[in-house]
Amino acid sequence: MKVEFWGQEFQVNMVVGCIGGFLIAIMSSMFGFGGGPFMVPLMTVFLRLPMYLVVGSSLLAIFFNTSISTMRHYQFGNFDLVFFLAMFPAALLGGYIGPQIAKRVSPMVVKRIACVGLSLLALNLLGVY
Amino acid sequence: MKRRFRVLSWFSLAATMVFGFLGSLAAEPQDGGSAVIQNQQPAVAQPAISSAALTINIDKTTLSNGGSIKVTGTAPAGKPVYLEVWAKDHSVRSNLFDNKRDKETGVIPYIFYITKDMPAYYKIFVPKEMQTKIDAVKKEGKKWSYSALLKDLGADAAYSVPAKAAIDRYKASLMASVIGSRGDILPGMDEKENRKRSMQLVKSRFRSIDKVVSAAVDVRPDGSFSADIKIREGLAPGKYNIVAVAGSDVRSTPAVFENTISFPTVYLENAGTSMNLIYPFVLSLVVAIFGVLMGAGGGFIMNPLLLTLFPVLPHTIVAGTVTPTVLFSQGSGIYNYSKIKFISWKLGVGIGCAMLLGGFIGPKLTELITLDQFKFAFGWILLVLAGLMFWQTTPGYIEKNKKEQAILKEFKKRAEASAKGK
Repeated sequence: MKVEFWGQEFQVNMVVGCIGGFLIAIMSSMFGFGGGPFMVPLMTVFLRLPMYLVVGSSLLAIFFNTSISTMRHYQFGNFDLVFFLAMFPAALLGGYIGPQIAKRVSPMVVKRIACVGLSLLALNLLGVY
Repeated sequence: MKRRFRVLSWFSLAATMVFGFLGSLAAEPQDGGSAVIQNQQPAVAQPAISSAALTINIDKTTLSNGGSIKVTGTAPAGKPVYLEVWAKDHSVRSNLFDNKRDKETGVIPYIFYITKDMPAYYKIFVPKEMQTKIDAVKKEGKKWSYSALLKDLGADAAYSVPAKAAIDRYKASLMASVIGSRGDILPGMDEKENRKRSMQLVKSRFRSIDKVVSAAVDVRPDGSFSADIKIREGLAPGKYNIVAVAGSDVRSTPAVFENTISFPTVYLENAGTSMNLIYPFVLSLVVAIFGVLMGAGGGFIMNPLLLTLFPVLPHTIVAGTVTPTVLFSQGSGIYNYSKIKFISWKLGVGIGCAMLLGGFIGPKLTELITLDQFKFAFGWILLVLAGLMFWQTTPGYIEKNKKEQAILKEFKKRAEASAKGK
């Protein structure tokens, strides 16, 4: 499939994109996260698309996934309104504060912290400690 | 079809809000004090009541978010006394996917059991002498069986409330899972089968031995008994019943106490637990900020953190409630990008359609797996994610990324300029 974006044309392998997207979607909707950090590498590394095309488009793709999985989770009775109302304003607030802080910290430091934090969390879930 | 579905889901969302509101109104006057004097009222649906021989008294009728109640009474001499305690006002969902090979036939059943009638709290208190038996079962680890435990403790006769829960069962199949349905509904079960499955559902819901049994009843040779019942924090508000049981047909009338909770501790109807709302608020705030910084949605960190910090929450609820939280930040992101025309709709919608299918199936799979499987899989996902993060800090990536970011900025500037120019 050919995609035109700001005057440049890209050849996109939709078979790889769709299969990868499908698998990521199952996983992310099953475990309740967005899927952005997997989607971006999929599109940059496997589809060889440039970053500036990927940032917006991957967001749009995972938005489809998140909205349908929200609906489905609701349908199966997995959604708790009160719990949601406790977290949602905080998430919005965080979305406003986050970018303010982002200007002042180095992304490398954040990523290293995230790397360690995620590993610890993962080992905890796996029952290592 | 899709449109109708959406309308339906919005409608039920609105209905939930209204009912939730009414429910909280109705609960309000109960908090106002006026001790509930409902002890010793005859139970309606209890079979074989012979309360003459078995009496029960409790020392208080209200608790504030858990506490301890002293239960005393008399029973026929020489019989062990069990106390069955359950939440009367609130019930929760419990589900179970039976994919264990049948020992006799060698066939894997693939049957999905679900009930909405599981009491939000259910526990049987057994005589103190049985502590050793409980400890022995605990040593077996996660593979313990609730029905075997009950039999072992002789508490079979005390087990009554969940046995009456209406359980639906579905024949799951690969095809049904692919189209995201629970499968064909199977005919109802007879009483015995229902009882057996309900025990599995009790385990699936409460998971740990400590939550379903406890050795607390002190029975003296003359038949009088006493017990200090500890009701833990974070339980459903409302009325609880305590019934003493001695032998298979000797049940006392229920003693009733009420558990109250006050804001900011709120009962989560679907999760079946009470929780101080400040914790998830703060947690979600911190995670959202950090999510922005590391460039990943908060869901990755939020889900495992909630599971680790609040083991009472079922994983289906965690996944199902965090998902819509992420939705809005994505929506605002798309809006911002689309304002400056920085989205390739063709590419996004193309891959989005494939993701739509995946997102349709995923939530179905969440309820098929147990918490342990959920944690296991999520653990590996997080390790992969940590690997990705690490890769993004390697020099090779940084070099490449710098160029990419420069191009990104350049294009974004152009896009913004042209958006303004209009």
